Amino acid sequence: MLQVENLHAGYGTSEVLVGTTLHVKQGTVVALIGANGAGKTTTMRAISGMIKPTGGQVLLGGKPVQGLSASRIAKLGLAHSPEGRKVFGPLSVEDNLLLGAYNHLPMFFGFRGKAATDLAKIYELFPRLKERRKQAAGTLSGGEQQMLAIGRALMANPKVILLDEPSMGLAPVIVQEVFSIIRRLKEAGITLLLVEQFAKSALEVADYAYVMERGRIAVEGTPAELNQNERVIAAYLG
Amino acid sequence: MNLDIIAQMAVSGALMGLVYALIAYGFQLTFATSKSINFGQGELVMLSAFFSLTLLDLGVPYWLMVPGGLMFGAAMGLVVERACVRLSLEQKSEGWILLTIIFGLLGFSAAENIWGRDDRPFPSPISADAMDFFGISITGLEISVAIGVFLVMGVIELFKRRTLMGKAFEAVSADRDAAELMGISATHTIMLSYGLSGMVAAMAGILISPITTVGPTMASALILKAFSVAVVAGLDSGFGVVVIGICLGALESLTSFYLGSGWREAPGLILLILALAVRPNGVFGKASIRKV
Repeated sequence: MLQVENLHAGYGTSEVLVGTTLHVKQGTVVALIGANGAGKTTTMRAISGMIKPTGGQVLLGGKPVQGLSASRIAKLGLAHSPEGRKVFGPLSVEDNLLLGAYNHLPMFFGFRGKAATDLAKIYELFPRLKERRKQAAGTLSGGEQQMLAIGRALMANPKVILLDEPSMGLAPVIVQEVFSIIRRLKEAGITLLLVEQFAKSALEVADYAYVMERGRIAVEGTPAELNQNERVIAAYLG
Repeated sequence: MNLDIIAQMAVSGALMGLVYALIAYGFQLTFATSKSINFGQGELVMLSAFFSLTLLDLGVPYWLMVPGGLMFGAAMGLVVERACVRLSLEQKSEGWILLTIIFGLLGFSAAENIWGRDDRPFPSPISADAMDFFGISITGLEISVAIGVFLVMGVIELFKRRTLMGKAFEAVSADRDAAELMGISATHTIMLSYGLSGMVAAMAGILISPITTVGPTMASALILKAFSVAVVAGLDSGFGVVVIGICLGALESLTSFYLGSGWREAPGLILLILALAVRPNGVFGKASIRKV
């Protein structure tokens, strides 16, 4: 579903990604782990078009999308829930969710009706968001904002979701909650590329994982394989 | 001192102030999406007014001229966006400041060459006769200013709050990158904001010209006051510009009545300096909600 081949990207003159290759098959959860500064977030940003790759290929459903604007890539079926969540603070929770489905809804009127079933699904998954649907998203707690960011990505009914550090800055209890949501998404057959600092938890939910070091993939394999890999254990699981 | 005269001056000043508010609102529209404003907005008001006047000269009926003038304003707004703003935003430079000022200068010269330097009357079917409201006389034209301003701002605010495209507009103002990730094109939204802003400027021109006449120099007087209003009110509050616009208009007309018309510009500038010194975010400007 998502193929990243020999991707190069960076900021200004400094190249961060020096040939990243990774594949996400339909219906699988793939984890991307690695130390701070290894290039995980940059990989996500280069895939979704937030920064322009300087080389390599990104294929979404077999079609090359590298070099397109982020909004074009989103229209083609990629939802990126970015690092730091980036909810629309002044807008209500419900408006945030509706904007997640921006590509499928009528531009002017009647969008609420058309989004009703999808909204109901999201509210079922995140009852807390339903309670707060009229509240400004910026006033939610960090955990709630993370739920909102995931819900907003789901509203697009995307082919692939990129989830960047959903546990960042959250209390351990909330992190547990986030991972149980990810597990539920996996059971629902959603294709997910997950970037995480918490390597252990990420490996528990993932079908396959990549370990990034200095801008390229250093090790890859199934979680079972990585759990045996001495290098991975020493660096990330110890 | 006669209370009647004070009230009279304040009310007609306040109605003029609504036009400053409308132009300031045009600043807010583009600032929201792109953090840039058109410093040639006054010239845009003036060019649209001249264009509308030409339509009238050509025999176009007044009520057909209004949409024509608004379309012209919107088109000019798009020209400003494409020619002066887009490239510098892409390069994250502040080049738009200089380029929009240059646009204004070009517009000024063009107007002088096409329409001449003289101020010209702008005919309107709306009555200039005064009506009496509780001892204060208000002309039909002044009422039309109030109706026009509230109508345009009301429609745009409804668009922003009630339609998905309007919410997308707000999303781009809140977080451009995140909006892009939803499939909302920031470029298109910024174009839309410049188009709307141009339309708002044209509306201001059509509303005020029958009262003040049309001339190439009308731009500079208007822009300075609209700018004061925008800065004093804050660049994100539509309600704020209306309140401050009304206050400034009233203050101005009282100042010129009591101190002489030479002092007319003083209140706006004093308010501007005070606002920048005391409340740089504007009286109604809100500190944005940021929470991680």
